Amino acid sequence: MDKLKLEILTPNGVIYNGEAISVTLPGEEGEFGVLAEHSSLTTLLEAGVIDIEKEDKSVESVLINWGVVQVDEKKVIVLVEGAVAIRGDSESAVAKALSDAKELIESIKDNNPAIATVSARLESAAQNLL
Amino acid sequence: MASLKDIQRQIKSVSNTQKTTRAMKLVSTAKLRRAEELAKRSRLYAAKMNQVIAEIAGRIKCNKVGGIDNRCFAEIEDQKTVDIVFVTADKGLCGGFNIQTIKAVKKLLAEYKTKNIKVRLRGIGKKGIEFFKYNEIELFDAVANLSSKPDKERSDNFILSSIEDFKGGKIDGLYLVYNGYKNMITQELHVNKILPVDASQFECSEAEKSLLEVEAEDEEKMLDALVDRYVQYAMYYSLIDSVAAEHSARMQAMDTATNNAKEMVKSLNVQYNKARQAAITTELIEIISGVESMK
Repeated sequence: MDKLKLEILTPNGVIYNGEAISVTLPGEEGEFGVLAEHSSLTTLLEAGVIDIEKEDKSVESVLINWGVVQVDEKKVIVLVEGAVAIRGDSESAVAKALSDAKELIESIKDNNPAIATVSARLESAAQNLL
Repeated sequence: MASLKDIQRQIKSVSNTQKTTRAMKLVSTAKLRRAEELAKRSRLYAAKMNQVIAEIAGRIKCNKVGGIDNRCFAEIEDQKTVDIVFVTADKGLCGGFNIQTIKAVKKLLAEYKTKNIKVRLRGIGKKGIEFFKYNEIELFDAVANLSSKPDKERSDNFILSSIEDFKGGKIDGLYLVYNGYKNMITQELHVNKILPVDASQFECSEAEKSLLEVEAEDEEKMLDALVDRYVQYAMYYSLIDSVAAEHSARMQAMDTATNNAKEMVKSLNVQYNKARQAAITTELIEIISGVESMK
């Protein structure tokens, strides 16, 4: 299967830089998935979870609070304000990431109905890792 | 001539100073490395951000009749009020680092005064704030303890009021003055015009890629949201850059100070030895003349 190149950048550094099979993004007008050879698109993202399906079929989740994505045929570049990757080798590392993520959610001030579902999504993403 | 004891005391005091300056240099070296690393990582984001903005702005500019309909990209001819944001360090002992920024701000102030444009001065960093307070130049807004510890959230909130004032028409320009990092031994003064964004730099990109149709209004909205982030990011980056520059300036200043202290100890030692020799000679002469008179 074709792969796409994915970069997730924050003002404080790179969160993810690598290849992926697909990536699901929380677009402003709804969630959308991107595969390789997707046509060009630039759009805003709102608070939510980015799901990255990696080559080995494992899924990694990254929580973001705001962002903009630029998609073209070969690559996907996501610029985000704040982001926490839900990953870790041990239970404690995952728990730490999860609490960081919750902190980030709380810092988002607007009462977006999407936020509630984001929390639920986070929990399940963490569950899958363990 | 100073007495032996005085010179001894002076030598001790100078070598103590030397110890302090050397320690400060080491601390700054370590901090500089961290700040530099942060700035380097952050630059990636900046490059991509500029790219995205340029692409969208370029597309709107070329495809829409009348160009970009956003105050942030318009050329404002009749400026009435502008915001000048300056960034200085919270601490001194870093050579001409703060003074350079202050001088640049003063120059801008004088320039706008002749043009009859009102300036709202917004300061970050204790040293700059103290200077302007002492000289009784009015500061519109002042924030301390942010330049030594750059914090995205605080810097965002700080600059947001300027962005809103700009969009609301209260101000007609936003300038950012700070001393940035160039390399280990040089700092570079930046006087950046942040708003309005210079639209002439955006070029029409060739539509070579397959493009999903996006409503023009959506693009305008997106650009509007992006401009906020862009300005906020410019502010944050200037803070990071300024920290790196501050540490490199301090490192240099402290290195010079250590060397100067070393020189001073050397010359004081010579003075001390001379004084000691003089004392011995006097004593000898006294003994000899005493012996002579006994004869």
